[in-house]
Amino acid sequence: MKNINKKISITIIIIASLCIVNGCSDDYLDNTKVYAEDSESFFNSEADYYNALVAAYDPLQSTFINVLMGEIASNNTLCGGESATDVQGYQQVDDMIHTPVNTQLQNLWSFMFGGVNRAAYIIEFEDKTDFAGKEVIIGEARFLRAYYNFELVKWFGAIPIKPEGRFVVGDEQTIPRSPVADVYALIEQDLEYAVANLSYNAPQIGRVTKGAAEALLGKVYLYQDKFTESATILESVITNGSYSLESDYNKIFESQGENGTGAVFEVQYTDVEGAGFGCLQCSEGNVAVGFQGVRGYDGDLFTSGFSFNVPTQEMVDQFETGDNRKGVAILDIEAWATDTGASYTTGYEHTGFFNRKYIPRKRSTEAAGDLNLTNPNNYRAIRYADVLLMAAEAFNRSSSPDDAKAKMYLNKVRERAFGNADNNITTTGTNLTAVIYKERRVELVGEGHHFFDLVRTGRGANISGFTTGKHEVFPIPLEEIQFSQGNWSQNQNY
Amino acid sequence: MRKMIALLFFMFFGFGLTAQTLNVKGVVKDINSGETLPGVSVVIKGTTIGTETDFDGIYNLSNVKKGSVLVFKYLGMKPKEAVVDSNEINVFLEESAEALDEIIIVGYGSQKRKDVTGSVSIVGAETLEALKPIDATTALQGTTAGVAVNLSSGAPGAKVNILIRGVSSNTSNQPLTIVDGYEGDLNSINPNDIESITVLKDAQAAIYGIKGANGVVLVTTKIGKKNKAPTVKYDTYAAIQQTTRRLDYLNATEYALVLNEAYAASGQSLPFSDVSQLGVGSNFQDELFNDAFLINHNISVSGGGENSRYFISASRTEQDGIIAKENSNFIRNNIKMNLGVDISDKLNFSVIANYFTTASEGFAGSVLFNGLNYAPTFGLNEDDENNFLGIELINPLNQLKNTYNKNNGTGLEGNFKLAYKPIEGLKITSRVGYKIFNEKGRTFTPIQNYGNSKVFNIQQSSVYQFKATSTRVVWETFANYDKTFAEDHNTTFTLGTSVQNDLFDGIYASGINVPNNSYDFADLSLTDPQNEQRSLNSGFNDLRLISYFSRLQYNYKGKYLFSGLVRRDAASVFDKDLRVDYFWSATTGWKVSDEDFLKDNKTISFLKLRGSYGTLGNLVGNNLNRSFLNGEGTYVFDGALVDGTAQGGLPNPLAQWETAEKLDIGLDINLFDDKVTIVADYFEESRKNLLIQNFPVSGILGTAAPGGGNPTVNAGTSVNTGAELAINYTAIKTEDASLNLSYNVTYVKNEVTNVRGGAFIEGGGFAIGNLPPSRMEVGQPIGYFYGLQTDGLFQTQAEVEAHPSQAALGAVVTSPGDIRYKDINNDGVIDINDRTNIGKPQADFFMGFNFSGTYKKWDFSAYLYSELGKEIVRNYERFLPNVNKPAYYLGRWTGEGTSNSIPRLTNDATNNKLFSDFFVEDGSFLRLQNVQIGYNLAADVLEKAGISKLRLYTSINNLFTITDYSGYDPTINGGAIGAGIDSGNYPSARQFILGLNVEF
Repeated sequence: MKNINKKISITIIIIASLCIVNGCSDDYLDNTKVYAEDSESFFNSEADYYNALVAAYDPLQSTFINVLMGEIASNNTLCGGESATDVQGYQQVDDMIHTPVNTQLQNLWSFMFGGVNRAAYIIEFEDKTDFAGKEVIIGEARFLRAYYNFELVKWFGAIPIKPEGRFVVGDEQTIPRSPVADVYALIEQDLEYAVANLSYNAPQIGRVTKGAAEALLGKVYLYQDKFTESATILESVITNGSYSLESDYNKIFESQGENGTGAVFEVQYTDVEGAGFGCLQCSEGNVAVGFQGVRGYDGDLFTSGFSFNVPTQEMVDQFETGDNRKGVAILDIEAWATDTGASYTTGYEHTGFFNRKYIPRKRSTEAAGDLNLTNPNNYRAIRYADVLLMAAEAFNRSSSPDDAKAKMYLNKVRERAFGNADNNITTTGTNLTAVIYKERRVELVGEGHHFFDLVRTGRGANISGFTTGKHEVFPIPLEEIQFSQGNWSQNQNY
Repeated sequence: MRKMIALLFFMFFGFGLTAQTLNVKGVVKDINSGETLPGVSVVIKGTTIGTETDFDGIYNLSNVKKGSVLVFKYLGMKPKEAVVDSNEINVFLEESAEALDEIIIVGYGSQKRKDVTGSVSIVGAETLEALKPIDATTALQGTTAGVAVNLSSGAPGAKVNILIRGVSSNTSNQPLTIVDGYEGDLNSINPNDIESITVLKDAQAAIYGIKGANGVVLVTTKIGKKNKAPTVKYDTYAAIQQTTRRLDYLNATEYALVLNEAYAASGQSLPFSDVSQLGVGSNFQDELFNDAFLINHNISVSGGGENSRYFISASRTEQDGIIAKENSNFIRNNIKMNLGVDISDKLNFSVIANYFTTASEGFAGSVLFNGLNYAPTFGLNEDDENNFLGIELINPLNQLKNTYNKNNGTGLEGNFKLAYKPIEGLKITSRVGYKIFNEKGRTFTPIQNYGNSKVFNIQQSSVYQFKATSTRVVWETFANYDKTFAEDHNTTFTLGTSVQNDLFDGIYASGINVPNNSYDFADLSLTDPQNEQRSLNSGFNDLRLISYFSRLQYNYKGKYLFSGLVRRDAASVFDKDLRVDYFWSATTGWKVSDEDFLKDNKTISFLKLRGSYGTLGNLVGNNLNRSFLNGEGTYVFDGALVDGTAQGGLPNPLAQWETAEKLDIGLDINLFDDKVTIVADYFEESRKNLLIQNFPVSGILGTAAPGGGNPTVNAGTSVNTGAELAINYTAIKTEDASLNLSYNVTYVKNEVTNVRGGAFIEGGGFAIGNLPPSRMEVGQPIGYFYGLQTDGLFQTQAEVEAHPSQAALGAVVTSPGDIRYKDINNDGVIDINDRTNIGKPQADFFMGFNFSGTYKKWDFSAYLYSELGKEIVRNYERFLPNVNKPAYYLGRWTGEGTSNSIPRLTNDATNNKLFSDFFVEDGSFLRLQNVQIGYNLAADVLEKAGISKLRLYTSINNLFTITDYSGYDPTINGGAIGAGIDSGNYPSARQFILGLNVEF
């Protein structure tokens, strides 16, 4: 018995000392399994770059908020919704009473910087691994960064930029808000690289083309009143790209018109994956569509939504008699209900009109819920008609104007709208400018451009409640000002 | 003193004169039960000569000198001495009432209760037997000072939260639970298997280092006694359960009238032109609630041989839910084995194993919410086809029909332990604690349609299945060395090490299009293999910990007590350079009653002062320092989803655990021969480095991108200050009758003293479209409610005009009958900047009042629990024009002077639904948790049947609750930021119990 005891005691002591001396040293902690990829040791193959690029496209889907709120900000529509307090951020922007405390503006800021950082992640590691065709992926990444930065500069003016890569913790306290000119310079560089390295035919539908990069660059020039540069690059899209106007204006906004002949750049959406209110930016569907649908709708063709962004009578009256676009862009719900027997309920600020281009259509049985948040309608971000109208404006407003070209491009758009050449424009000069502006408004109504067209052409005061010198840009979210610890100052008059 | 001298003198004298020896024998019995006691140690005083009683309580000692003294000792009994004057000495032992000699486990060692210098509460088996908790945690509610127990929900099998001395952390406040030395949970244990629960509340728990900051719950399970014939116990009870409350909502006629009024006020046409035929309509609450059954069986065998002790038990608990019992129920089976074997005098081996299975079904929390808000004018199974109630409300009964949610768990936990005593006073223990838990779940979501474009509509059926395994292995080796120097210097030294590995490994999958839209076919293998939404995922976690600890306990003559300890912890889930920390504590005590000036005091029988201070950790936060590519980067190319690779949450390279600094000053006092015992404590805890999840950072960092997230940052400090008092009074204790009364009260005040960046953290949710209602902010209690303060209602238009404009709140027009808000910042405008502190979710006071007694063959007990000074947010109303409303709207404002609290009804935009103190209610309550009466059948009747004990009893849990709160259950709570918001939580059940205990 003694022997046994001794043996056992020796065993215990050996085990204990082993543990203390060897087995249980802190090295034991270093061998944990994780089964997760580390962000800093990525970009080791072409597939890694491609996968990161897909992720950089993803935040394009969150631009639903830019389109929806941009339209609400303009004088085209009222905010609507369920009640006066339904999505207060939108309501305040509609009434031009927004302040630095605005959840929706904060979302927009954060969503777009999410996109900037995803594109910048690729750019930061662009030299790590080489493979054939890498410049295409880098070109797309730079287009995407330009796209997100352009949205940010349109909404907020001066923003922090970091050409070399992602923002890291602390940058908000050291990197200043770059002046608008510097932001545009970076956007131009990114787009020039994209134009040089991309081709007119994308490797997959939905990916960026040379035409998209040229069109966006032309738009960026236009926003800076660089009309000559704008006219040149836009004319390249018209001449070298294989775009044409879809003859049926209505088809453009139906699913069969997606990625059609006039699609220069479209944000792609689908409804095969579910979504919830907890993360609207995670939806693979177009959230704006459900928000703009007719409240409580039951009837033909459409499905219901939350009755936001309702066009005003004043907007509807902009359409000239004989303009075929009116019935496509505007749903007159009372007339529609009378004709088809559809039923609906009314929401806040009910005008009787809805943004028909982007209200929910009947869905397939495969559609995943919440159906309000997963509408599959692509956002037609840059349409060929927009390119033509931008080109018309650039030629008209250039220091050496070419109104003949301007009218030619303008009338292409009008001929489609009226189905004939009877309504073609013949005027010139500033009268022509005014016509082009009006044409942009009706052609592009409901597509989120009008507010920025008004502001960049000095016509912001057309919006009721608009204060010149203040409302051209939106306030930097208060939280951001606070995070910057004094590094960033607020926009004027906010 | 004089007596002692006389006795000594007599003994010496007697010894000197006779020096005669006797062969002594006798029986030792329990004075209360009269049962014989086996295993009682019998030692001749002043020698090491002695024996133990056998199975029948009989001892034999030969050659005992006449006049020497025998000392009889038995765990839990007062030692007794007897002078040897004849050869038969029978002894009755009495339970040590004050339990001062009770052995308390204090972590890697034990102490006598009277020597404990930390703050400790104990719940014994008798309390567990009385309260019949499904989850043993519930037995701590109201019975232990400083401990608050909150149910996350009244649903069967729902998680129970324990808070020791208040909420400190926003991440986890769950104490560490150690069961017989292994790290476990109370919810997997059969409460009948528990011998006692010890709660360590102060810095004494620093021996558990990085895991001890939330307090430590030490559970000891039952084991048999040596040399004792098997005792078989069978316990069973059955209960009928029903809801403790139904809410008063409008019936169909009242509802229609109220709606008509609101429509009329907005100038709209009336929704109900004829209300005369509506009657009371449907009562969805009545349909949801049902009487439910609860049954428990428990059988155990315990005993021991010469060198062994054992305890084996099996139990089954089945509980149906009081809402939708087909969809809400819980089953737990346990098989428990405790076995201890003395391999030799010096070596002991023990095995503890608890095998358990659980099965539960639950339903979505929105069912009760829908049940309250769904209009009574609808038929019981009628859907709201045309969205009269809005797209977010559906028929709750139809919703339940589409609920299929089952979870199963199987676990094995316990430990293997070797204890070796190589030399006198030294004990080396090595043990391996283990826990394996396998969990699986299956949720079937059928195609559902509740009316046009309802958000609950499901177009495609799906099934979600998961399987996950958690394992934990903890290997601990430690030595305890007891040594007394120079007679009076008693020391115990402990040195040890612990190595832990927790692994989690889970697989999650879901499939679309279940054949026949039926649960019978709800299996992944049968779903559409091509569907894009089919998903497969996994989760994995590996946590490792290495710890070393050392403790010195010292006392001088048992009067002046001191202990000091230090522990070093290293945890794998933090950055390599930041993962090590040292925790320490010092405790001290002074047994004043052992001093000469109190020694013979008639009033004070025991008095001890104690104090402790130390640091502890809260091990939360897992791999927060690492940057993973687990974000969502999905886009559409060529018309199909393409999954890319994106960064997930922003890492925080500096992340660490939370640390606590705890101070405790306490007093233990026993009065009137231990009839009254009082334990009082003052405590302060400062919790630093609070981990704040989702810590706001600048948007430029890209955290808002899909699948991204804000980092978790050590960004705050909160301080809990408080006091607790526990009084126990043994009013009567005779052979025929006993009566025991106890009362405990805890006061806790929480204050946040630091939030990084100086800002506040907000959270929680109220209604839809409101700003977050809860905050963590410097100078305020954690999770306090932040909203507008009401100042009655506007009675007249003149009053509206005299008051600062409320238009900035959203609704431009304010009318008489609307809520008047206070201009808190006095800027002449009412806006969101006028929000202020309007309540807090954690109570100021927790109290328990318990009494128990026996009279002849009857026994009875009652347990009351109360919380005072907390608020609850009423958040189960949906603010849409056509939904049903609580009955308090019958007292609404309808004209000047009609009401000054309940606003008018209108469909116009108003500011009345903003988060304000109108929705914050006093959540204080007093609940009779349990009342019980039992009867023991006469022993002589039973003996013939071979039964030693047979008791019948009946009891009621949650008989009544006194509260002003208008929601279902004021006891439901939990968490820190966002706690105390009641969105229609599942209420606790009232249970009518009938039970039987048999022993043979």
